[in-house]
Amino acid sequence: MRYAAIVIGGGPAGMAAACAVKESEKVLIIEREARLGGILKQCVHDGFGVIRFGEKLSGPEYADRFIEEVYARKNIDVKVLTFVTSIEKENGYYRVSTTSGAGIETHEGENLILANGCRERTARQVNIHGTRPAGLMTAGTAQNLVNLLGVNPAKRCVILGSGDIGLIMARRLTLEGSQVLGVYEAKSSPSGLQRNLQQCLYDFGIPLHLKKTVTLVHGRDRVEGVTVADVDDGMLPIAGTEEYIPCDALIVSVGLIPENELAEKLGVAMDAKTKGPIVDQYMMTTLDGVYSVGNALHVHDLVDYVSEVSETAGKDVGRRKERATIEVLSRGLGYIVPQRIDVKNLEEKTTYYFRTARETGKAKLTVTVNGVEIYSKKYSALRPPEAERVSIKHLLKAGDELKFVLEEDDGGKA
Amino acid sequence: MAERLETICIVCPNGCRLTAVRKGNVIEVSGNKCPRGITYAEAEMTAPKRSFTGTVASVFKEMPVVPVRTAGEVDKAKILEIAARTREILLTRAYAAGEVAEENVCGTGVALIVTTDMRKVTGRTEEL
Amino acid sequence: MADIGKIKKKLRKAGYAGIEVSEYNGGVRLTGEAEKYEDVLECGSLAVTKNSRGVINDVKVKGSKPLKIRVSEIEDDKYDGKSPDVLVIGGGIVGAAIARELTKYALSVVLVEKEYDIATGQSARNDGMIHAGIDLKPASNKVKYNCRGNAMYPRLSKELDVPIEMCGQCVLYTARWQKILFPLIKLRGAKNGIPVEKLNAEGVKKYIRDPGIKYGGFMCPSAGILSPYLMTVALAENAAKNGAEIYTDTAVTGIVNDGEKITAVRTNRGTFYPKAVVNAAGVYSDVIAEWAGDRHFTIHPRRGVEAVLDKKARKATSTVIGKFVIKSSTGKGHTKGGGVIVTIDGNLILGPSASETEERENEATTAKEFDEVFLKQQKLAPELKRSDVITYFAGTRAATYEEEFVVEKSPVIKNFVQAAGIQSPGVTAAPAIAEDVAKWAAEIVFGGGLKMNENFDPIRKGIPRPAEMEPEARKKLIEENPDYGVVVCRCEEVTKGEIKEALRRPAAVAAVDAVKRRVRAGMGRCQGGFCTPLVMKIISEECGIPLNEVRKKGTGSEIAPRRTKGGER
Repeated sequence: MRYAAIVIGGGPAGMAAACAVKESEKVLIIEREARLGGILKQCVHDGFGVIRFGEKLSGPEYADRFIEEVYARKNIDVKVLTFVTSIEKENGYYRVSTTSGAGIETHEGENLILANGCRERTARQVNIHGTRPAGLMTAGTAQNLVNLLGVNPAKRCVILGSGDIGLIMARRLTLEGSQVLGVYEAKSSPSGLQRNLQQCLYDFGIPLHLKKTVTLVHGRDRVEGVTVADVDDGMLPIAGTEEYIPCDALIVSVGLIPENELAEKLGVAMDAKTKGPIVDQYMMTTLDGVYSVGNALHVHDLVDYVSEVSETAGKDVGRRKERATIEVLSRGLGYIVPQRIDVKNLEEKTTYYFRTARETGKAKLTVTVNGVEIYSKKYSALRPPEAERVSIKHLLKAGDELKFVLEEDDGGKA
Repeated sequence: MAERLETICIVCPNGCRLTAVRKGNVIEVSGNKCPRGITYAEAEMTAPKRSFTGTVASVFKEMPVVPVRTAGEVDKAKILEIAARTREILLTRAYAAGEVAEENVCGTGVALIVTTDMRKVTGRTEEL
Repeated sequence: MADIGKIKKKLRKAGYAGIEVSEYNGGVRLTGEAEKYEDVLECGSLAVTKNSRGVINDVKVKGSKPLKIRVSEIEDDKYDGKSPDVLVIGGGIVGAAIARELTKYALSVVLVEKEYDIATGQSARNDGMIHAGIDLKPASNKVKYNCRGNAMYPRLSKELDVPIEMCGQCVLYTARWQKILFPLIKLRGAKNGIPVEKLNAEGVKKYIRDPGIKYGGFMCPSAGILSPYLMTVALAENAAKNGAEIYTDTAVTGIVNDGEKITAVRTNRGTFYPKAVVNAAGVYSDVIAEWAGDRHFTIHPRRGVEAVLDKKARKATSTVIGKFVIKSSTGKGHTKGGGVIVTIDGNLILGPSASETEERENEATTAKEFDEVFLKQQKLAPELKRSDVITYFAGTRAATYEEEFVVEKSPVIKNFVQAAGIQSPGVTAAPAIAEDVAKWAAEIVFGGGLKMNENFDPIRKGIPRPAEMEPEARKKLIEENPDYGVVVCRCEEVTKGEIKEALRRPAAVAAVDAVKRRVRAGMGRCQGGFCTPLVMKIISEECGIPLNEVRKKGTGSEIAPRRTKGGER
């Protein structure tokens, strides 16, 4: 049997995409872990679903809503503990090879939805030196240990990186009786959501140290301490500012990298800024029939939007049609998704997700088509860690120049 | 009681920077993008509230700890006490999502509820 | 005999008048105090002379603390009173190879390793090259054992089921004129049976996509690569299969000798009474030699830092890339300058650096060293990027002042054999060194005629690697054991079956890093971020260790030492 779509990854993105596919079309979800839900399984904190469901749900609750739907849907098959070893493009379909306890299998799908999620940047990838003892780990690994396995890696720990997972883990470890000595952030402003600074750090009196980073890890078997130092504007440590902090763990939360090894092997064109595939407004990559969704596409701040983009891709499955794309040009943006627009198949509104290139005060987003302004929006402030979403009504045709420009209100470029 | 408070709204991901100033019997709030910010800031000035999220232990090997949260908000001051309490609770059967793990946790009047369907996990032999 | 007066004069001239020079154990001993460690090193180098067994450099830096050997926290008498025929000290690739060779004889063999696992020192912290040996000093132990060892590897690879690849090494000239040296290089290679082939600038591109230096060079086709830690593990496993006992967390703390022979070896786990003792103690081999009663050399540790690159970077080159270093090509230098090394697992390694250090066991890296290594080696293949780096590590080589291997049956202590001062190209040389050392040790035990172990089985089956199997074989393996179908480490595609098997092998160690060295779980681009909790779970279940007691390395390295919730479950 040939599936209309094979979804790789059973996290929030994969599940939402699968559930959005028409019920008349057969879908297969392939998940490498034992259960659907992805990283949401270990996100026991709340704050999920405020936009989508108007409720503050915990990660498992948010996941459960989709898991139930997946299993209730007759057109969706699920394979867990199944790992994709290779994908081959055939004439008009894709052949996906998997390994599992049941053996080696191949599955055919007319479309592929890549929902592989992302991985964490490691301590070594941000130039932390010294030793590699127990107690040095990423925030996601710590979260898995604490929230899924019920074991705690830290008594007194330092957290590097003020991304949301780092902040969430600062609170989580505090609630489990660990002492969090401080959160260190090399940038001059925090990377996580503002509300997480309040409810995860300030509520518990955990200090946030900006423009400081960890340079060295000490201890051979177990972390015995870390050296922290001030950093200059280029985020390089400043000699003479080093300080030794005794601790038994260093939890690093220094960024997420979309996992796109499968996409790259397939030959999908990638966006150097998002580190995910280049897609159109239906999340279709440069390869016909291959979609990219969720954090594999670009790292989202909110799972609510992960679900949204994934549904867009799921709905598009089976609507095979002629496409003609134009590039989305931009200035002042860190990145924008989609990076191209299929002008042959425009819907009434098109949704864009973008991040500002740098922190701004009052700013204005202007969208032009062939130099003519068709949309603008004002912002009181923008920060790169917080993605923005705009839905725009526009008429486009092949050859049009579509451009997004973000400028600070004082007239200077953002 | 504080006369002036600068805080970050935690109600939604917008994270508005709020300023609340007490003027007589009235609390004036600014910086909010929506009315929920006013309610939040007023509560922060008088009796701050938070949700608790965490885990409790279970007897199931497949799920040594189970996610829980308070069914609603509780006094912020109670959070650490609830955290300590969750270290003592042991679930001995498979709960459904939303089932109460403990009523009136730490005398807050709010229940501690399980936030995943344990029945989907326990008893399964497939695991990594 | 060494001319002590001459050395004294040399030292005085160099400004070290206060250093005492004396004859000791056939070598030259230096004592006294120096201002800084660089002075200690210089004194040692100045004392190197032909007619001597070596330099015993006891010059201390003023106010320096005495040497402290890191020893496992375990203290018991688990092995007290054991009297093996041969006790091998050191579980690196040299010690493991010796232990295996020893089991070819009818001998009882014990190998002790002070760390929690074998292959944690130099043997894990190198780039895994099987050197051709073109740059080694002619007529040295180094070149002799290197070339013999190099030739032994294809067979060893088959016997132990450890992959090797004779990918060759491309040595690039750093200046156009150097190509006139090729006849000399060729001649030099011929003396040791090392083939070399001329490469012009175009020829280089056959191997390296975009070489950073464009003057051509030459190819040493007999250079190869392997996983040095996997080879060490395989040697130890096969030794164990043939009766050797491998004791980890067992550190020698003292050796009793009666002036003629060793009578007892003390460890943190009891005293051994071996008939013969082999010193394969790496960076501590001079300390063991001292305790045994025959020290005639000094280890001055030399640090090396190396960077590991993502498999995506491997397309830059199909061979090891080195740079032509005049000094080493004349046999005067003692570092080969490092390079870009392809690894058997598909990554690239940049390095190593070389810096002298007082610390024998400092495995911490520094940003400065990393930067130097990266910038230096990137010149060989400029397309390599910093963002390709997935990790980096430091190791310490056991260099002597003579820059030579000490491989000998002790002429002083009758039942003592040394394989000391083994640094690069130690991995390549290890199998050959082991042959000689094992034979000498057997001669000590047997006196006259050697008795062979008729049951010796040279074959070790590797742990099945489903990711590299043909679909049919993979299918069959999973049918027999479904665990081989379940992927645990997603980056390296390592299955649950492989991890479980790694824990069941002889010389297995229940630690996450020990599993990593055996099956590569956690060695990929996420560096164990996803699989660490899963590997911990498997170790816990397979070895019956509570999850919170599962370690990363040795004692005290529990990854998540506390349960979040109380109570027994």
